[in-house]
Amino acid sequence: MGRFRVTIEVTVTERFHIHELPNGLTLLGQPMDGVSSASMSVLIPMGAAHDPADAAGAAAVTAEWLIRGAGDRNSRQLNDALDALGCQHDESAQGEHLHVSTAQLGRNLPDILAIVADMLRRPRLEDDTFDPCRQLILQDLETLEDEPARKCNILLRERFYPHPLGRNVLGHADCLAVMQPADVRRHARAAMTPAKAILAVAGNIDWDRFVSLATQLFGDWQAAPAKPVDIAAQPRGETHIQKDTAQTHIAMAHASVTVRHPMYYAARVAEIVLSGGMSSRLFTEVREKRGLVYGVSSRYHSLKDYAGMFTYAGTRPEVAQTTFDVTVGEIRRLAEGVTADEMARARTQLKAALIMQGESTGARAGAIAADYYHLGRLRSLDEIAAAIEHVTADEVAEYQKAFPPDNLTVLVLGPEPVEIVTSH
Amino acid sequence: MNFHEITLDNGLRIIAEVNPAAQSMAAGFFVRTGSRDETPGVAGVSHFLEHMMFKGTAKRSAADVNLEFDNMGANYNAFTSEESTVYYGAVLPEFQDRLMDLLCDMLRPALRQEDFDVEKNVILEEIALYDDQPRFRVYDGLMGHFFHSHPLGQSILGSRQSIGELQRDQMKAYFDARYAADNITVVTVGHVDLDAFVKKVHALCSPWKPSQAGRATPPQPSPVGVKILHDEKIVREHLGLMSPAPTAQADNIHAAQLLAAILGDSTGSRLYYALVEPALVDEASMTYDALDQAGGFMTFLSTDPDRAARVLEIAHTEFRRFMAEGPTDAELAAAKNKLASAATLKGELPMGRLTAVGFDWVYRHEYLPLPQRIEHMFAVTGQQIHELANTFDLTKTACLALGPLENI
Repeated sequence: MGRFRVTIEVTVTERFHIHELPNGLTLLGQPMDGVSSASMSVLIPMGAAHDPADAAGAAAVTAEWLIRGAGDRNSRQLNDALDALGCQHDESAQGEHLHVSTAQLGRNLPDILAIVADMLRRPRLEDDTFDPCRQLILQDLETLEDEPARKCNILLRERFYPHPLGRNVLGHADCLAVMQPADVRRHARAAMTPAKAILAVAGNIDWDRFVSLATQLFGDWQAAPAKPVDIAAQPRGETHIQKDTAQTHIAMAHASVTVRHPMYYAARVAEIVLSGGMSSRLFTEVREKRGLVYGVSSRYHSLKDYAGMFTYAGTRPEVAQTTFDVTVGEIRRLAEGVTADEMARARTQLKAALIMQGESTGARAGAIAADYYHLGRLRSLDEIAAAIEHVTADEVAEYQKAFPPDNLTVLVLGPEPVEIVTSH
Repeated sequence: MNFHEITLDNGLRIIAEVNPAAQSMAAGFFVRTGSRDETPGVAGVSHFLEHMMFKGTAKRSAADVNLEFDNMGANYNAFTSEESTVYYGAVLPEFQDRLMDLLCDMLRPALRQEDFDVEKNVILEEIALYDDQPRFRVYDGLMGHFFHSHPLGQSILGSRQSIGELQRDQMKAYFDARYAADNITVVTVGHVDLDAFVKKVHALCSPWKPSQAGRATPPQPSPVGVKILHDEKIVREHLGLMSPAPTAQADNIHAAQLLAAILGDSTGSRLYYALVEPALVDEASMTYDALDQAGGFMTFLSTDPDRAARVLEIAHTEFRRFMAEGPTDAELAAAKNKLASAATLKGELPMGRLTAVGFDWVYRHEYLPLPQRIEHMFAVTGQQIHELANTFDLTKTACLALGPLENI
């Protein structure tokens, strides 16, 4: 392959809107041409990290509970109302937020917004609908035992981030077993507040009408100060969960920079060189050349104040150690530099992904909500494309030197552990 | 939105839905072959071959293929089912020519012995990967149980043994028979330069030979009883149910889709209210699987082992009740709106549109713009769905249970 360069001109015209309500709820909008759908993403600062210490899983149970009746509608009526509007909806707990997302035809957005307002402001949270919600989360936890790859990655995140920021959102069986509706209700009523909440829409929307309707529905929602989360650092190193699985599931994480950090774009380029596509270093070295795995990947993930590079490989137990060593070796080797071809390829991949993601209303609603949460503003595609263009190979190597795969948090689920050898 | 259909002299078909307003274009080679077309000695060859197609050609190495895709920032991959193998890529419009240059060349692979040997390990890893996923094991087991001796019962991945024993020459023979010009449809959607597209495909694919590959389509067998896959290592009981449904070629596919949505969508469906809302299961879903001259309604449930019998009983009660009563007007309206939203969201992405347009054509020789497709779906009546439920008898299920139970 010869030297190869492309410049993609970002020609998509974008319109962004931000409107902050006095109670702290921020409305974000991106009208898009040529689409009929509209997607909505709501972030309420009541994630699993905010669960009371003795009620791990409270946010997850609350997410289920929200759709069991709100305002004038009981559980059945609420679900049927959303279904009748052709609304695809999901309510879930994340680490830092309670997340409600919907996707629908743009013309149904106003009616659906009114129902979501009921769910957030007037959820019934009744005693007799509580137990099934609790039971569903308990069953989710049990199902996790049958899904080793998913379990491995969830437990890795729990052990990597300062506690409780990365905790398993499903909580603990012990807490769930004794969880009382009154306690979860009290927690939810206090924590579900418009302060620092984000409501983002993208797609076939009329922004002015949306703002006026949202103001009507959410303007008099009373804010309450959010309680800060006390965090505790976690020990690094390996956790091995012995299980007679077909594959050994290896997950590891090491520190990276947050979205607001000056090295953020260098980190994203490093992620792509390492794992962005079938020509990436991990795919080439671990799968293509050695046939050690079916899946191997490194993914950047960021909370507001902490970030990590999360790497996963699933492999036959007898080659688990080799897989681990080759994978860590490849991450470490990034510090020795990346080629001009790799840089050009990574830039193209990032920018093409950006433009193609720009065609999806769901992806855009999620992206602007995340931007605002991390940065307090929205980035245009032009800004992101220019920032990606400016990253140099030296900056990527520097980033990797500053954030090497030392002090790894490793989670191995399978018959045998792996040995972590630190080499310098 | 403009639709075009072109057939080359060798039988290769090109279909295109051109949308100049899109930001990207997508293209895919839909090969009419999959595990159902395999002879017993080569179980898993379709899927293994799909991997080998990324391993290079006479003029490209495996690394070249991957590099070229990534150099374009392409969103690309391939998948193998019981009856289709699809290779696809989505790129910004300026890369159309390079994408097609690569895809057309890839479809004539080198199948080098050394690549075959390394990739065999990756396939064995993939088999192990799915062994750790009960949901996949239920799907695979249920298809085998429901279709038993019918070719559709043949596993996509094959077994460790069949993959272990497979020879490169057997794969080559399978390739020659199945990857012929008249067994492939090239599909493109989005911001496409059609003239350039056809010119490119013509230039690179015209030398391909036809083979009149065909396919055996014996009648679908009747489903029989419960099969237990006892596995003590699994905590939950994972259940799969399958009953006959219209074929992909039938004129009532929309009624079948609506039936599955009313009974088993993830929100607001009959199974949701009967099983998920009261937390008897943590998952209940029913889908309509439209296949070539065959079809099935598939239901998946995940439950506590001690409740499995009761859960199955409730699911069957819901099937019986639906056969007796049919859908309510409100259920029908909601299901239509939900399917319309889903189709619209999917159709707004060239990648989503590619499979919809491609499979409509491959199975039905039919093209419908999305708004018309949605109109057809809205025209279905409750009575048609009610009749369909009785014609196909939803209670005539094959059941597969994977988990700690030894019997149900």
